[in-house]
Amino acid sequence: MIDSALIPEGVKRCPTWKFLLALAVCGVVLLWGVIAMLLCWFKGLNQTNMNDYYGFALWIWADLGVIALGGGAFFTGLLRYVIGKDELKHIINYAVLIGFICYSSALLILAIDIGQPLRGWFIFWHANVHSMLTEVAFCLTCYFGVLCIEYLPLILENRQIDKVPFFHNLSHNFHEIMAVFAATGAFLSFFHQGSLGGVAGVLYGRPFGYRTGLLVWPWTFFLFTWSAAACGPCFTIFITRLTEKITGKQLVKPNVIHLLAKIAGWMLASYMVAKIADTLWWAFRTAPSEGFNWRDFYSNNALYGPWILFMEIVVCGILPALILTVKSLRERSGLLFTAVGLAALGVLLNRWVMVLQVLAVPVLPFDKWALYYPSWQEVATTILPVAYGVILIMISYRYLPIFPQERELNAVDSAV
Amino acid sequence: MENEQHGNKKYGMVINLDKCTGCGACMVACMSENNVPFKKDETDKLKSITWMRLFKLSNKKSYPDSDICYLPRPCMHCAGPHEHGHSPCVSVCPATATDYSTETGIVSQIYTRCFGCRYCMAACPYHARYFNWWDPVWPEGMEKYLSPNVSVRMRGVVEKCSFCFHRYQLAMDKAYVEGRRELEEKEYQTACTQACPAGAITFGDLNNPEHKVHQLAQPDPEHDGRPRNPNVFRLLERLGTNPKVYYFSSREWVRRSGDNYLKDEVMPGAH
Amino acid sequence: MKIDRRCFLSLGIGAAAGVALSPLPWKLADDSSIWTQNWPWTPVPKDGKVSHVNSTCSLCPGGCGISVRKVGDRAVKIEGAAGHPVNDGGICIRGLSGLQLLYGPTRVKTPLKRAGKRGEGKWTKISWQEAIGEVAQALGKLRDGGQPHTLAAVMGSDRGTVSQLMQRFMSAYGSPNFFRMPSVQDAYEQALYLMQGERAMAGFDVDNADFVLSFGSGLIEGWGAPVRMIRACGKWVQDGVRIVQAEPRLSNTAAKAAVNGDWLPIKPGTEAALALGIANVIIRENLFNQFVDQASSGFESAVDSEGRQHKGFKELVLTSYSPETVAGITGIDADRITAVARDFAAAKHPLALAGRGMGHTPGSVYDIMAVQALNALVGNINADGGVWAVPEPDYIQWDAPEIDKTAAEGNQKGRIDGAGSADAPYSRYLMNRFAGAVLGKSTYAIQALLVSEANPAYSLPDTEAFKAALDAIPLVVSFSSFMDETAAQADLILPNHVYLERYEDIAAPAGFSKPLIGLCRPAVDPQFDTRHVGDAIIAIAGKLGGNTAAAFPWADYKACLRDTFGSRWDDLRQTGYWWNEAYQPSSAESGFKTTSGKFEFVATALREYSKKSDAMMPHYEPIAPEGDASKFSLVLMPYDTLRLSSGYVGSPPFMMKSVPDTVLKGNVGLVGVNPETASSLGLTEGADAVIETPKGRAAVKVHLSAGVPPDCVFMPRGLGHSAYDDYLAGKGVNIYQLMGPVEDPVSGLDAAWGIRANLIKA
Ligand SMILES: Nc1nc2c(c(=O)[nH]1)N[C@H]1C(S)=C(S)[C@@H](COP(=O)(O)OP(=O)(O)OC[C@H]3O[C@@H](n4cnc5c(=O)[nH]c(N)nc54)[C@H](O)[C@@H]3O)O[C@H]1N2
Ligand SMILES: Nc1nc2c(c(=O)[nH]1)N[C@H]1C(S)=C(S)[C@@H](COP(=O)(O)OP(=O)(O)OC[C@H]3O[C@@H](n4cnc5c(=O)[nH]c(N)nc54)[C@H](O)[C@@H]3O)O[C@H]1N2
Ligand code: SF4
Ligand code: SF4
Ligand code: SF4
Ligand code: SF4
Ligand code: SF4
Ligand SMILES: [Mo]
Repeated sequence: MIDSALIPEGVKRCPTWKFLLALAVCGVVLLWGVIAMLLCWFKGLNQTNMNDYYGFALWIWADLGVIALGGGAFFTGLLRYVIGKDELKHIINYAVLIGFICYSSALLILAIDIGQPLRGWFIFWHANVHSMLTEVAFCLTCYFGVLCIEYLPLILENRQIDKVPFFHNLSHNFHEIMAVFAATGAFLSFFHQGSLGGVAGVLYGRPFGYRTGLLVWPWTFFLFTWSAAACGPCFTIFITRLTEKITGKQLVKPNVIHLLAKIAGWMLASYMVAKIADTLWWAFRTAPSEGFNWRDFYSNNALYGPWILFMEIVVCGILPALILTVKSLRERSGLLFTAVGLAALGVLLNRWVMVLQVLAVPVLPFDKWALYYPSWQEVATTILPVAYGVILIMISYRYLPIFPQERELNAVDSAV
Repeated sequence: MENEQHGNKKYGMVINLDKCTGCGACMVACMSENNVPFKKDETDKLKSITWMRLFKLSNKKSYPDSDICYLPRPCMHCAGPHEHGHSPCVSVCPATATDYSTETGIVSQIYTRCFGCRYCMAACPYHARYFNWWDPVWPEGMEKYLSPNVSVRMRGVVEKCSFCFHRYQLAMDKAYVEGRRELEEKEYQTACTQACPAGAITFGDLNNPEHKVHQLAQPDPEHDGRPRNPNVFRLLERLGTNPKVYYFSSREWVRRSGDNYLKDEVMPGAH
Repeated sequence: MKIDRRCFLSLGIGAAAGVALSPLPWKLADDSSIWTQNWPWTPVPKDGKVSHVNSTCSLCPGGCGISVRKVGDRAVKIEGAAGHPVNDGGICIRGLSGLQLLYGPTRVKTPLKRAGKRGEGKWTKISWQEAIGEVAQALGKLRDGGQPHTLAAVMGSDRGTVSQLMQRFMSAYGSPNFFRMPSVQDAYEQALYLMQGERAMAGFDVDNADFVLSFGSGLIEGWGAPVRMIRACGKWVQDGVRIVQAEPRLSNTAAKAAVNGDWLPIKPGTEAALALGIANVIIRENLFNQFVDQASSGFESAVDSEGRQHKGFKELVLTSYSPETVAGITGIDADRITAVARDFAAAKHPLALAGRGMGHTPGSVYDIMAVQALNALVGNINADGGVWAVPEPDYIQWDAPEIDKTAAEGNQKGRIDGAGSADAPYSRYLMNRFAGAVLGKSTYAIQALLVSEANPAYSLPDTEAFKAALDAIPLVVSFSSFMDETAAQADLILPNHVYLERYEDIAAPAGFSKPLIGLCRPAVDPQFDTRHVGDAIIAIAGKLGGNTAAAFPWADYKACLRDTFGSRWDDLRQTGYWWNEAYQPSSAESGFKTTSGKFEFVATALREYSKKSDAMMPHYEPIAPEGDASKFSLVLMPYDTLRLSSGYVGSPPFMMKSVPDTVLKGNVGLVGVNPETASSLGLTEGADAVIETPKGRAAVKVHLSAGVPPDCVFMPRGLGHSAYDDYLAGKGVNIYQLMGPVEDPVSGLDAAWGIRANLIKA
């Protein structure tokens, strides 16, 4: 293989042509997304199906979604570096990579989503400290910096780069201080996950999203952090399992996966308790005080019904929490895969509800539900980060020692 | 509370829905005054910039018991709870591109600073904010009627009713030149108020007992300006947005349409 | 120096750090954001000296005073003129949009001569000299051939100097065929003539009325002088004046009536019956005013000198219009009729008025007479808060033109529409008969047509017939400022200035109770190579020479205008309007100009028309909608809204923007249908459907409206333009493609209020 010099030692990778072919396929999807992105930048947001009722739409959902899913990075980092769950070092690289992809995607989406991208920096320059979005922007950017720093040593571990003494040393030094960054990252993450929750939670003009809370933070602030900490690791496991299925190799030892799954399971279970409490308080205290019966939020329209609550809380919450917390269940591979998948779906659903349903529900008594469907440009720009993520995973997996246990788990016939 | 407000103005409106005819003059007076753009197809009302929008309310009864009422909706210039200026929209704008003036009570919009994140739109329950999805384009020659008092907004930013702030500025300039610090009620009137043939819109300083708006709405300073006149209401009063646009209606169903109530809930002041 | 990889990378990182720390990226970021704040394609309005021009709006017969705000030489805003007797600062949506007409893309910018086929849209630009020459030559030829009467002219109004110039031209040239576009003014003028013996305009003292009873009039939807009426309504609400609105549909006016009064959801077309039912109660309960005894005739039945029995109004009403009978006709409960009648009679200044919607359609003269009879019963004819006969403006006192032999012969020929002849003796213009007459029902063929300030190809019922008529006329000349439907079918367009560029006297706002003349004057210089239609007429006459030329002694239109007003000109220019504020109509005691000298419940003038006494009195004579009830299950009716312009000028973009999405969605118009009727037809909100009438069919969408009576379909006037620009053309359906006129038997005027229709799921 012409690129064998770049491939980590002692692991087997598919032939270059196969790799390039897969890369090309993803590249086409990426290109499609890039075209849509350029259309939005040059022609403006009229390329989307957003409107004055749907100022936030698919993209912001994708943004919140990927950030929640990327929560695996900060929470695994927290467990590994701060709390000291050492086994997790075997999955932390991948968690960081997934986090990096999610956060870079989120920033890209934000840059496309705003009407005046060239003024994007006003958010820092003219910052309004009362705005959740300001908090999001600051923490998100800082944490992305942290993720870069966390991802960088991984790149430096590439066989060729590592040969350069400077980089070798740099990489070593990075590892020494990684705990500091991980702690910083966890702190920042706690805030921006939370402030993303605050985005809808502070909207006191939008009874569907609005939540009471603690000090300046609405309950959704805490719920978002909590759910990201619970479902982010689930997504890490999900993608790891998916990668294993695609590569046909075991990449991480079951004990590592099971440990993370167990922690995620308890996080999810406790999150569900909080989420249910929040839902009850909101439905029977907050909303009625503003003249709404909770059923108003789930009727008179074609899409949003009580099924959403059932999906989010029972199917994607209680059910996976049960599977993940019970040892015998989570150790059954199929069930584990289903559970982490459902948990990830659940957090995506939650973010959808907290963005799109908030805007769909009529607030003025004489107004109507506003339903919206995305334009192809929106779909393409939303798929763009997925294609980009797959490509980055493919490249990272091929050339970087992402999975420290891979060599041990897949002994390679060195003759090949 | 009252002391803090001393000397400050709180401009607001009282719109008499018994008088409003739904004629649309206020909408167009606003468009014409404020250089609001238009497109070839304006029938998608979710993408149609109308700082002043007319809602048509219905009593939901069937013919011939049916009844309707028009409700003109400018920006409410919400003061937020306790008059702190934490309007739903102002409090969320990350770039301080929209601001609450404690001097006038007017919620401003700075087009050149807005970067188009649309968070303010999501925050506003009245849908008073509009995004410039397109570049504003006037048919050839028509840009001649654009007024230099209000800058034309570029694509990608949010705009909304400003209570014709430029009229305030012009009036203040004139007053200053004449050595005055205070405006007469009639010196600062909005374009929609001026145009309304029915005289349905009254505009002025809600803090000033001499002004008609104060007398009509009788705002209660103890309760964030809640109207004491039983026939006057504010839209979505219960959300605590503290709007400065008040509505008068002698019809109970209309007043009830101004806010959300549980099925059997009795509206305050209902008889 | 050898650059190894390590060195290269360090340099790279160093350079990156250096750039980041330098001012460059920050400067670039700043500059790019500043660029977004100054995009060259986003217009920056030029500043300049601010000034105001007081003028009069002529976009409708409302006659509002306006103040045009200018910056430099640009007009930037139109506002209502404060203190003006008609509108006192108020203004309507159309008046506000005027600048979009002035600066809009639909202006005809220079004289045009048709190049392709009629209506093909191919034009050659010609000079004014050529344009005037072409018209004069063609008209000269007609006249020389002894055919001056085959020239017809259509205008929006027959008052004011411009219209008078046109009428003067017609008589000097030799044609009786001058037309004014139809409106309820036609029917009102006739009813006033028949009952009060006066050629006068109906004026309504709305400010002093304390009870308003309206028979379908869109009081806040464009009836009369729109802004004046809305102002009055605001005052009524303020003062607690009761408004009772009899109308099938829950219009905005009906809803307003419901606030402090009543909405009577009447069966369509039965308004006269209701009026007579109310009269019945007033008469039976002896609630009528002394006016009846003192100043009216024909109330009581009588026996004449030859012993013939003559039924009086009282007998007619008491025998034929009991509340119970009327309830059966109108669908309004007898109790409700009685209650309204008592309240109406008990009010100090009750006012009854008629004319459906904006008053586009003249309607039946009997309808107006029935409503006018109510006013007489309560004694508010020419009284405070009542209906006044306002004399037609008399400020135009030109010497009569000298008529030569050709002209005299031409003028002797009967009008093609038969107005003024035996079958419609008191009608002046019957535009609804124009198409039929041109297409062969007349004794002679129309050879040339002049159209000014009117768009009959769009705004007359049965547009197809009118277009066919245009096709049959060899020469069509339009003076339109805009490329409207009629102009688009013309052979020559001699574009007029728009009202913001010209002088003109705007006489008598519709329904205004006092004599008033507004002055329209240029706010800006003419934007294009246009010419005042008055100047064009004078120039054409000049080219024709002879007596026609001699009839126009003025150098130009402005000289004519100044000459007309004489010493009043300066005053007029100062204030922008002139009015006789102290005007009071002649009181009932001083008598009426009828043969009896009294208000005539039995119109003796109608003896020419019919010897039957019922036919001489206000009575209910149903006007059936066109179409076979067995083939069409519904009735389609037009309605008016101030958000759409349905007359001479099309709706500018601002107005179109104000149209709700329940009326127009994309390019498809919505029809209002009662929810139950819709569900019986299998139609839901927003459903695609086809509306079909005896006149045609069109694709529409359905809007369910609880304000629409069962089995009726409502459609606004003002949509479905084929001409004008992309902001207006092709949007919705012109209801007049689906609906034709129906003649009022007594006047020949169009009295159609609807047409039978089917609504079919698409
Ligand atoms: N880098 C950068 N700097 C900028 C800008 C930018 O885009 N980029 N924007 C510039 C612009 S456009 C502005 S307006 C200034 C803001 O700076 P200023 O011009 O000082 O604007 P305000 O402080 O908002 O104006 C004073 C008060 O007027 C009230 N007000 C009411 N209505 C309006 C209104 O319609 N407009 C405005 N401006 N105020 C109103 C507000 O409540 C506010 O409290 O910042 C300027 N500075
Ligand atoms: N309705 C409403 N009206 C408002 C406001 C509002 O919030 N609402 N805000 C008010 C306020 S506070 C302000 S500050 C104004 C803002 O309105 P403006 O002061 O008009 O601000 P801009 O829109 O930035 O327009 C300034 C224009 O000046 C020109 N320009 C800028 N820089 C240069 C230059 O270097 N050279 C030259 N030749 N031209 C240049 C550009 O063409 C630019 O479009 O609007 C006021 N009007
Ligand atoms: S202008 Fe006045 S009457 Fe007309 S819609 Fe607006 S508020 Fe109502
Ligand atoms: S109405 Fe909307 S835009 Fe206006 S101040 Fe209130 S929240 Fe802000
Ligand atoms: S769209 Fe503009 S005004 Fe609205 S929140 Fe964003 S930056 Fe602020
Ligand atoms: S106050 Fe001024 S900006 Fe606001 S709706 Fe009225 S005219 Fe428009
Ligand atoms: S009512 Fe008629 S005259 Fe008055 S502003 Fe409107 S269009 Fe002009
Ligand atoms: Mo500014």
